[in-house]
Amino acid sequence: MKYGYYPGCSLLGSAVEYDRSGRALLEALGVELEEIDDWVCCGATAAHATSHLLSLALPAISCAAAEKQGLDVLACCSACYSRLKQTNHDLRKDPALLAQINEIIEEDYKVKPRVLHVSEVLANEIGADAIREKVTKPLDGLKVACYYGCLLARLPKALRIDNIEYPTMLDDLMAAVGAEPVDWPCKTECCGAALTLARQDMVIRLSGELVQMAKECGADVIAVACPLCQANLDMYQSDAEGQLGEQLGVPVLYFTQVMGLALGLTAEQLALDKVIVDPTPLLVERGLVEAGVYL
Amino acid sequence: MKWDITEHALHSEFRAEVEKLSGQNLGDCYQCGKCSGGCPVLPELDLSPNRLLRMVQLGLEDEALRNETVWCCAACGTCDSRCPMGVEILRIIDVLREMAKNRNVTPPATAGRVLTFYRSFLDCVQEFGRLSEVALMGSYNMNSGRLWTNMVKAPWFFLKGKVSLSPHKIRQIDRLQRAFKRVEEIESQ
Ligand code: SF4
Ligand code: SF4
Repeated sequence: MKYGYYPGCSLLGSAVEYDRSGRALLEALGVELEEIDDWVCCGATAAHATSHLLSLALPAISCAAAEKQGLDVLACCSACYSRLKQTNHDLRKDPALLAQINEIIEEDYKVKPRVLHVSEVLANEIGADAIREKVTKPLDGLKVACYYGCLLARLPKALRIDNIEYPTMLDDLMAAVGAEPVDWPCKTECCGAALTLARQDMVIRLSGELVQMAKECGADVIAVACPLCQANLDMYQSDAEGQLGEQLGVPVLYFTQVMGLALGLTAEQLALDKVIVDPTPLLVERGLVEAGVYL
Repeated sequence: MKWDITEHALHSEFRAEVEKLSGQNLGDCYQCGKCSGGCPVLPELDLSPNRLLRMVQLGLEDEALRNETVWCCAACGTCDSRCPMGVEILRIIDVLREMAKNRNVTPPATAGRVLTFYRSFLDCVQEFGRLSEVALMGSYNMNSGRLWTNMVKAPWFFLKGKVSLSPHKIRQIDRLQRAFKRVEEIESQ
């Protein structure tokens, strides 16, 4: 199994732990990744909010490179994933638009590659059974609240991979590695996303309420699939605590980090030291990582 | 708020243009308000998504282009997924933002920061092909005049080795910059 890997900009910076844990997890499951040659930023909300053409041109450049490599596209970041997938969908529907984009990006893109999210590859292409076989440290009793956020779940009808209001794909993956998925009502609530710098007030309120609800529902950790969700829930947790007047202290991990633990990958391989609300006391207590200093 | 609605406004060019660019039929919206019921940023907004759509239906161009909602919408897509008529509200909001940007409509105060942020983001992509979070933070803070935004958070990023200080420049940057230019040309036509 081989895919064209689209890391996206966050995974080179604030989300390096998603990149490292995702690669390590896929390698442990026998998946080969070849990075998409000279990929460019997907443009994220900044592009689709201000220029429809640019929001299609940027993803098309990277997808055209994957097409030349003869590979499907695998993305970890939910935001990149939704932009790349939406672009392919729009270009397939409208040949005139495709011609215009090809002219803009100086390519002859034919929209051949599929765009897949890492969770989709794990759930549908590798499958829970194959994953279960590789588990060496089942996460018995670890209560995980899977937080899908908007971009993974709230795709337009034609592109959906899961239930839009109550998705279960990440929960099923957690169950496959022995964890206990938490039934909670905020799986697809919004964390404030790209407003993180410009409207922090909104982001702190939204992500604080989410973490609070996960905790009330009994979660030990929150598992996420998007760098913006991770940053907002993790980085602003102390601010939210101040506003809510309540201690939260819920570690926010990428779901690839959580799964990697069960496959016996080390704290270093999963870059557990990169998250801000420290998960190590909990994970040491559960015997999932060795005690030590990870900051 | 008093709205001045004339017969002409109901068949406005503005409404027709939004419909054309978004591929949505504004007449499909029967103002049930379900989109606004799920909107996560509504508590902070001056105008709910369904009222914004109403303005477009009524051809109230100035009001529809200059408000907080178009910029503070977090693009979560909840409204789309709950609309009983299948109206792609987010696509319509994207069209309004793009129109506001291209027509140089100044956003209201705090909403303007969002546009500044998007501009800083795309400037960085145009220069390097990829986004460097450090460069973005720096340029956003300069452009918005909010020099210390997120600076309390910055030490975490350094401490945790989460920032790469040298921006990653792509190989085919010339081609990318030509694409940005071409898009700009098409949009200014
Ligand atoms: S949910 Fe749909 S029909 Fe109802 S107000 Fe919103 S856009 Fe209009
Ligand atoms: S996409 Fe924008 S308008 Fe729609 S629910 Fe989300 S924040 Fe509100």
